[in-house]
Amino acid sequence: MAGDRTSHERDTAAGLYDAAVPTVSLIPAETAARVGELLAGPFTTTITAEGARRYAQAVGDLNPLYFDEDAARAAGHRGCTVPPTYVAYALVQGRPLEQIGVDGLFVGERPIKLAVARIMFGGEEWDLLEPVCVGDVITGETRLAAIDQKDGSKGPFVRITREITYTRDPDGAVVARTRQIGIAR
Amino acid sequence: MSTQQVYVEDLQPGDELPVVVRNASRVQLFLYSAATWNPHRIHYDPDYAQLEGHPDIIVHGPLQGAWLSQYVTDWAGPAGRMTGLRWQNRASALPERDYEFHGRVRAVEGSTVTLDVWEQTPDGQVLMPGEADVELPSRAAR
Repeated sequence: MAGDRTSHERDTAAGLYDAAVPTVSLIPAETAARVGELLAGPFTTTITAEGARRYAQAVGDLNPLYFDEDAARAAGHRGCTVPPTYVAYALVQGRPLEQIGVDGLFVGERPIKLAVARIMFGGEEWDLLEPVCVGDVITGETRLAAIDQKDGSKGPFVRITREITYTRDPDGAVVARTRQIGIAR
Repeated sequence: MSTQQVYVEDLQPGDELPVVVRNASRVQLFLYSAATWNPHRIHYDPDYAQLEGHPDIIVHGPLQGAWLSQYVTDWAGPAGRMTGLRWQNRASALPERDYEFHGRVRAVEGSTVTLDVWEQTPDGQVLMPGEADVELPSRAAR
């Protein structure tokens, strides 16, 4: 068909007519090359009732499954469960004060370099494969899963995806995964 | 908190979940920072938050995510299980203001229900759109 161009031609044509603003990459090559890198961990912790309940109380989530062992067992669990996203905070590593900047954020040894200054929390995507219970031993490790540039209504921005995988010891079952999205512009 | 159980047979695409309103005090934001070991200053220092362009201290994005998680797990009841939760933080939320959580059944397949869930201001600005997957019990299996 005469009017049916290949995808390559279509892309080229779109490039010719839509490219009024040249695209500047906000992602240095050295940063793009880090996709897949282990950013943190592996860290291992034992899930405690105290930590999980403080978190649940701070959220305002007084679900009996987190506080009442009988209720948790009646619902078929091994014991008290914890709020689904709590595992991320059980594994937060404390830092000496000297490693915390004026904004309160940890000053990393190898920050992800971008041609933009401000990073906002953009959201999360959780796969919740098995409930986590008090007493479980959980290992988490964080990888740089993706880094890509997008065009938004307020101009170009960079989407940074860190994927954290949580594994239960000693059987090695993956209990949860989260992809944390950072938006930098 | 839900004490009633919802069953998969009772749901159809388009069904609306009850609306839940959340409102964070400054004390709650402090406690959430402490419980999650989060020293980011925009959540407790109003002067510093203004330096970063915020009108006041702001509610943690993950706290709003935790509220969304609770919205789904409370609705799902003790025998329901949330297997997936995804959300986007599009705009900041402030303490001492009401935010509404809404949900709607998008699909029911076997025992799996997919929900559209979101946080909005009372006048309808969506701060946090999301989706959740929930496994629900069947009345037939009781």
